[in-house]
Amino acid sequence: MSSTTKAPLAVQPNKPIEILPSPSSQLFSNLHPILLLGTLLFNFKTLVNDPVNTLLGLAPTIALLQAFYCILCLPPPGSQAKGSAKKKGAKASSDLAGRIVPTFLSLLLTLFLSAPALYILLILFGAPLTTHQLHTILLALHLALLTTPHLYYAHGLVKETWFQIASLQIPVDEVFGMTLGACVGAWVGAIPIPLDWDREWQKWPVTIVGGMYAGAVVGKLAGAWVFRGWRVKIS
Amino acid sequence: MEDDAGAVTRPRAAQGEVKADRKRSAIHFKAQHALVVAFFLLLFVFHALAVYLFCSGFLLSRLVLQDRSECPLPPIGLGDGHTPGSYELGCWHPKTFDKAVIILVDALRYDFTVPFTPAQGADTFHFHNALSVLYDTSVHHPANAFLRPFIADPPTTTLQRLKALTTGTLPTFIDAGSNFAGTAIDEDNLIEQLHRAGKKIVHLGDDTWHSLFPGFFERNLSQPYHSFDTRDLHTVDNGVNDHLFPLLEQPQSGQWDVAIGHYLGVDHAGHRYGPDHPEMTAKLRQMDDVFQRIIDLIDDTTLLIVMGDHGMDTKGDHGGESDLEVEAALWMYSKQPVFGRTNPAFVTPPATAKERPVNQIDLVPTLALLMGLPVPFNNLGQPIEEAFIKPAGKNYLNLAQVNRLTSAQIQRYHTEYAKVRSLDARMIAPTVTSWLEANEAWSRTSSSAAKTADAWKEVFNGFAAYQTENLRVFKSLWARFDLNSMSMGTVALVGTFAVICFYAQGIVTDPSELTPALLLRGVAGTVVGGVLGAGVSAAAELPFNQITAFGAVLVGIIATLSGLWSGREVVRIPRPTTFWGWLCTLSTLLLCVGFAANSFTIWEDEQLLFLLITFGLVMLMASLGLADAQDRTFGVINSLSFLVATRVASLSRLCREEQEPTCRSTYYASAMSSTSAGWQLSIPFLVALILPEVMKYFYMRTRNYQGSAVIWIGIILRLGLLITAVFWVVDAADDGNWYPQMAEETLTTARAYLAQTVLALAFAAGYGTYVWASPLLLVRTEEAKSAPTMTSKSLEPAKANAPVLTAINGSPQPRTKLIILGYANTHGSRYFLLPAVWVLALLLLQKPMGQGTLALCMVSIINILEVIDVNNLRRSPFGPTLFALLGSFYFFKTGHQAVLATIQWEAAYIPLKTLQYPWSPLLIVINTFGAQILCAIAVPAIALWKVKPSLPGLLGRVASAMATHLLFYAAVAVATVVEAAWLRRHLMLYRVFMPRMLMSITVLLVVELVGAVVAIGGVRWSMLSVCEVFGWPEVVNAS
Repeated sequence: MSSTTKAPLAVQPNKPIEILPSPSSQLFSNLHPILLLGTLLFNFKTLVNDPVNTLLGLAPTIALLQAFYCILCLPPPGSQAKGSAKKKGAKASSDLAGRIVPTFLSLLLTLFLSAPALYILLILFGAPLTTHQLHTILLALHLALLTTPHLYYAHGLVKETWFQIASLQIPVDEVFGMTLGACVGAWVGAIPIPLDWDREWQKWPVTIVGGMYAGAVVGKLAGAWVFRGWRVKIS
Repeated sequence: MEDDAGAVTRPRAAQGEVKADRKRSAIHFKAQHALVVAFFLLLFVFHALAVYLFCSGFLLSRLVLQDRSECPLPPIGLGDGHTPGSYELGCWHPKTFDKAVIILVDALRYDFTVPFTPAQGADTFHFHNALSVLYDTSVHHPANAFLRPFIADPPTTTLQRLKALTTGTLPTFIDAGSNFAGTAIDEDNLIEQLHRAGKKIVHLGDDTWHSLFPGFFERNLSQPYHSFDTRDLHTVDNGVNDHLFPLLEQPQSGQWDVAIGHYLGVDHAGHRYGPDHPEMTAKLRQMDDVFQRIIDLIDDTTLLIVMGDHGMDTKGDHGGESDLEVEAALWMYSKQPVFGRTNPAFVTPPATAKERPVNQIDLVPTLALLMGLPVPFNNLGQPIEEAFIKPAGKNYLNLAQVNRLTSAQIQRYHTEYAKVRSLDARMIAPTVTSWLEANEAWSRTSSSAAKTADAWKEVFNGFAAYQTENLRVFKSLWARFDLNSMSMGTVALVGTFAVICFYAQGIVTDPSELTPALLLRGVAGTVVGGVLGAGVSAAAELPFNQITAFGAVLVGIIATLSGLWSGREVVRIPRPTTFWGWLCTLSTLLLCVGFAANSFTIWEDEQLLFLLITFGLVMLMASLGLADAQDRTFGVINSLSFLVATRVASLSRLCREEQEPTCRSTYYASAMSSTSAGWQLSIPFLVALILPEVMKYFYMRTRNYQGSAVIWIGIILRLGLLITAVFWVVDAADDGNWYPQMAEETLTTARAYLAQTVLALAFAAGYGTYVWASPLLLVRTEEAKSAPTMTSKSLEPAKANAPVLTAINGSPQPRTKLIILGYANTHGSRYFLLPAVWVLALLLLQKPMGQGTLALCMVSIINILEVIDVNNLRRSPFGPTLFALLGSFYFFKTGHQAVLATIQWEAAYIPLKTLQYPWSPLLIVINTFGAQILCAIAVPAIALWKVKPSLPGLLGRVASAMATHLLFYAAVAVATVVEAAWLRRHLMLYRVFMPRMLMSITVLLVVELVGAVVAIGGVRWSMLSVCEVFGWPEVVNAS
């Protein structure tokens, strides 16, 4: 209760996550942001014309990209707590099944836990309540895909860890950076909506989608290269 | 939580000494407290002077004179044998017409009406050559018709134009002295003069006329249409046609004297498609046909006028002052040959609006004299020559006579205006000379033998010159921004902002220790500066008020800042250092920058929701990271409650015009009414049931639901809210005439008494409770089981903020312990009675929907206080800034917008039956800024919530929290003032930027006053009563 007794939570996944060292992992990890942004840019025109169908059509692709990223690049669940990452990585690359199942679970959680939670959050932020429901649901799905699968995969489902993630206590790395970047990008993406420029791309939810994709990529790169190991320190 | 357990451990010194000690401490506190309040009042004075300086340069104002021109009283001796006073013959001048058909085509630009032959390589546009009847008739029948460019004074909005076209005066932002509440014109105007002359007036089309001239139109013949749906090109026009043409034929042609038709199709086609579009061609062709038909139908004694109220820009919009927007067309037609030209070349209408234009206000004297009416009192226009020169083009005597009459009326207005508001003698000198010269020429010519046309022409020129000169003088008088005054105001605002910024966030130690020095210097500086300014203004012949005010505020600010400089070892440059500091700074900055764009200003309510949810989300995230599980749960629950309450409140909306059509109002029963829907009447009952219960819950958690809290929250507040709910039902019954058998007086009296009872409960009973309450504690004595040690532990360890057992054992012998229930939040719960008292009065003055949202605001305030406590943010700028955002947000959620039109004037009549000064304006202020007032009163609670009763430096913390709160409003005021000054030529100035600027300076002054007097002033009693019980903290001597 008292400020003096306040300390970080007991369990501490306190090292930034390292990308697996194998060349294929490194390659995909570098390719990943290009693919994400490329997919969006390639489809931007249709996104502006028909947001619902475009977002729906893109969702499996993005999910697949995120799944590959988890499988190929991230150390498998639980490896952070034990032993050194290097050793783990070498061993795990052979064990493909042990990576596909958690990836699948991460995507399931993203779909059924993160997306609804983010939908509620979007509504709280002022998303239209009675119209554009499909738009908002798909926006929440994409936001969830950009923010959470890799977190579930890398950090597992320990309650205390998630308290730390929610309160931004864990160190920034490219995984967490992508999440933070996507959130900040979506936030910034909402700003141009009210402007009276009468542009087609100002319609709901195009700016936010654009903002969060750009944010995710910037966040990932910044998390990997600039802010690695930095903590936000809310309190 | 900072401290939930505490023990009173005072050595049993001599009782008398303790008493004396306490008395000294209490006196010391009172003095210090009074100085802090005085310092905030000084800040208020600085801001008030700054606002005065800025507004005196920025708000163009004109005094509305209530005088009316009378038919039997011409402004000057006629001297032409005409007997004044008869509407039959013409009041001041022989009349020409009995009847008139006045057709106003919204946005009829001049170039729509003249033929266009494309030059080499130029294109014809769709608006060219579609409307030809006006031009053709004036060329082929010059004695029956004439067409001239018709120049509008900006703003080119229909409402402002109609005012000018009927009163003959110039638009300014504030027509001081006019009826602020309604839009009805209450100065002398053509419509009223027609009405007084006994003419029957029919109006068809744009309903703006009905709000400007309520009650002047024939009910059974008139037909108003809404003007808002700019996508609809035909409903209004077809409606006008359907009603207008029957009027021109038997049997209806005898039932009216003046018919006004206001067509909107051209304007709407412009807004929707722009002028260069086939729809515009079609619309203009339709108008051409309409005019042709009217020409065929009217009789010989009828005058037909077709005019545009303004033009449109290349995109088809209007409102500003560009050439295309101000260039309308005027055409007059009569079957008798009455019109003439002073020069045969003038038969062909000008090719562009740059040649031979007339002012729109010129219509007023022209029409008045043609119809035999007196010229409206405030008119500044001059008669149009074609209408009076007669077909031969030689009757300069007639022209001179009408110009002399109009000039004399203007001169009479001049004299009356100068009586009420002093006019700069140097400025009006040319008009005086010009007037004398013209009169000289008149008497010379009328007494001379040779009354040639040339002589009369000279007389006419003299009067015309006088009128032109006079118009120029009044234009510059009413339409000039005083940049010097505006700059002085801006400098003072920025300076005061700097003072508050340093005071709030720059003082490392207790700000209340530094306050006396700052106050002393500030007051001394203000006085010296005022005297200095007065001296300078007298010596250099500068405007006394401005220079004195500027001297006072400038030297005052510099002196206060010098006080900070001399205490510089405890002062640092304020800048954000924590995550929370950055969050607050960036949010405020973002909002301030946004006010430079009209879109962000228009959608401010949605932005505030966005920011509040961001703040709520961060509170939630921070709470999730708390180590203590109970703290975490409690913080999370309160954050969630805040988030949900905010989003639910956001559903209450009152849309401003610019938010259409994407915004739907929910505040009233429908978009067109200002009464509540039936279901909304249940909201006050729900508030009465739930709000006290919620407050009780939070008081119970810390065992502070004792004594006065039970009396106020448990009984009086509930009762008051219940009466409030009943009041609104009675009000609805009164408005809706539910009980026609009951005398209207009964319900009106009943509702006034109910409201007065609630106000009496709030301010008499409420303040009584607040001032005389003891701390909300319960002291119990229990047998001590253990050895006489001092212990304190939670009563219910399972709960977060459970009450605390505190064993006090001064001497080892008696084995009893004192249990103080409610120790943990002694200060907070005691002070929070004050917002709890005010909330009753604030709720009464809101509409039912607003009561629901304001109650949510109150709940949110408590949620925030609890989250601030568990995260220990009570010294961070987070709380005060969030409260300011919250207050601003709920301003919109209580049915207001940053426009004058949403002021709820009815609030003045809640406890009163008639208008009473000063109460009525006060009630409107409390209604309008209720949310900001509530949040400002809650600010001290941030510093006081759950702190140890004997914590030193509390007053300083309260002062710093309040200053931080003010910082937000001061920042918004600086931003909007600078932006309004910068954008003073912007199209949206009058609609968007100026109202927002007026709102921020008013809010700033209101919050400053409430914060100083009610909030910080109120801290006196709560701290006195707590510290009387627990003793005063050790006085830290600042050496």
